[in-house]
Amino acid sequence: MSDHSATLWLILASALTFKAMVLFSLSLKAHWKQVLSAVRNSTAGKPHSQRLKTCGWILLVLSGASCLRADHASMAVLVWILLISAAAFIVAMILAYRPSWLRLFALPIFVRR
Amino acid sequence: MQFNSTRQAMAWLHTWLGLILGFVLMVCFFFGALSVFDREIDRWSIPETRFDPQPMPSFDNMLMDVFSRIEPEENEYKRQMPRYHDSDAGPMTPRTELPADEYWAYTTHRDPVLRMGAGFRVPFPKDPESHNHIHGEITIDPRSGASVPDNHLKIGSEWFYPLHYSLNINWNFLGFFIVGIAGFFMLVALITGVWIHRKIFKEFFTFRRDKSKQRRILDMHNMTGVVALPFHFFFAFTGLIIFIAFYYMPVTNTMLQPLHNMHQALEAQQQGLPHERSGIDAPLGSVDAMVTEAKRRWASRDMAGEVGFLQIHHVGDANAYVSIYRAGSDRVSLVGEGIHFNGVTGDVLREDPPHGISESIAEFLTGLHLQHFEHWFLRWLYVIGGLLGCMCIATGFMFFVEKRKQQHANAGSQGSRIVDAFAVTTVTGMIVATIAMLLANRIIPGTTEGKGDIEKWVFCITWALMFIHAVVRSRPVASARSNPAWAAQCRLISVLSFIAVLANWLTTGDHLIKTLITDTYWAVAGVDLSLIASGIIAGVVAHRITALKPVRDTETGEVVYE
Repeated sequence: MSDHSATLWLILASALTFKAMVLFSLSLKAHWKQVLSAVRNSTAGKPHSQRLKTCGWILLVLSGASCLRADHASMAVLVWILLISAAAFIVAMILAYRPSWLRLFALPIFVRR
Repeated sequence: MQFNSTRQAMAWLHTWLGLILGFVLMVCFFFGALSVFDREIDRWSIPETRFDPQPMPSFDNMLMDVFSRIEPEENEYKRQMPRYHDSDAGPMTPRTELPADEYWAYTTHRDPVLRMGAGFRVPFPKDPESHNHIHGEITIDPRSGASVPDNHLKIGSEWFYPLHYSLNINWNFLGFFIVGIAGFFMLVALITGVWIHRKIFKEFFTFRRDKSKQRRILDMHNMTGVVALPFHFFFAFTGLIIFIAFYYMPVTNTMLQPLHNMHQALEAQQQGLPHERSGIDAPLGSVDAMVTEAKRRWASRDMAGEVGFLQIHHVGDANAYVSIYRAGSDRVSLVGEGIHFNGVTGDVLREDPPHGISESIAEFLTGLHLQHFEHWFLRWLYVIGGLLGCMCIATGFMFFVEKRKQQHANAGSQGSRIVDAFAVTTVTGMIVATIAMLLANRIIPGTTEGKGDIEKWVFCITWALMFIHAVVRSRPVASARSNPAWAAQCRLISVLSFIAVLANWLTTGDHLIKTLITDTYWAVAGVDLSLIASGIIAGVVAHRITALKPVRDTETGEVVYE
């Protein structure tokens, strides 16, 4: 594995982990409201928690797979676990300070009708 | 103590253990996080060593000469010689005439300099059975063989790194044991913390900054604790594992010493490695040839690599043997794949066999903590984990104070005032001391006698001053207001950080444009950038704290901040 492609896999893994954490947070009613009510003239609706969680898990598994592509398995496990910590912290901070940034992740399919 | 529920008992344990040992854990987490980049901090603090990492140089052409230059360390000689030497059997050998028995050289993928050491034999020992060694060390520039001056302290690997596991209190290993106890109770604090946390998953991402100060602090405490829970758990746990024999099974060096010695001799016999000197003088063969052979064998196992550690036992004797270990930069587990050679003939005596499952797990766990691997991204993730740990502990102190200070103010108690002063000292005071040390390192001329010792004093005295400052300014806490020392020390961190970066530029000519762009050198650029980041964050925090205006709640009479 060349250094270059390992870096790309790690960037992909980071993006996937971040997105997974965003979806997990949106599956919680409080955060869903936080993200959507930050935008004017929008009705928050309710999150389709089951779908959000399922998609979150799929992304998390994919991020784990990307970590495995980049590194020896023993190292990939550490990268993956710590990526989850870092991404969760960043998502929590965005939710607190700039919740509207996460609005683009609240796709129509995640709204419970 | 009467508890109405298990949860209450757990909360009690979490609060008080956390309070007492949190101060120690803060040091472990913060300096542990800095230790991730200890070699890089070394480069920043010793400008003579700012060059690229080097492979192990030729033993035959360079290292042999350097080894013969190493002398036994003076203090160790004074302390240990009378203990080992039997004055009835013969005269005491002068320090510089002790014969060498063991040589070692150690480098990693992050080390431009090479650390080397020697163990010297004591003639006429009281106990010929035991390992009567007096040691000496040297650090060289592997390009020329020139030694790096002794008065230069490697601030990263010789001060911050040992601080995180020994508090640099070496007297009777007291610091090690304090850290050991703190590490053990860290595990207890994590378990009790999870127990008393009602909504781990529901509040996984929760930081409600529009709520009360107490609520905000608790949210941050919970969130930083929970999101990095695996990190906190594994680092406390593996830290304990690394020192487990030292903490819990020291009997092998006391009561069971004879058994321990016998086991060593037996093991050496089974491995075919001579345990004792033969007493017959013999010259050392070509170690370079052995290194070539070791590399060939690693490559044939599909584990091609560089030499990380090289050790020569029974120097100058017919029983001499050379152990060569691989640098473990490409995997987590600390495995050396050691290959041992007859020092005189160069024949392979033994190849360490692949390890079983339990050893492999132990190697993974210790490797995870000691991180010899080459993976910059993971290193930074470790720093983030460590800093999340620091945030968790710091907000723990703050919550303790915030929850009680009104009651204490009403009752005229000084409890939260004292805790708050200690919190200021361990949170901002520790960072001030760290940066002051780095700044002192750049200001004190390199030729100064005992430069490293002065730097250590700067660190300790600054920290003590920060404590005094925190105590002197703590009066408002007794009436449920905030200690102004928080903001003042943040401002100090901010100012010192920028001056340190400037001082590095002025004393070495290495400014960020050079270290980042024209002549890239990440070790120095990274330390500079981290200092600038600390300076900016501390400045913003100081500004924010000062902007908070105390308001007396009209209904309850409590002091709140907006």
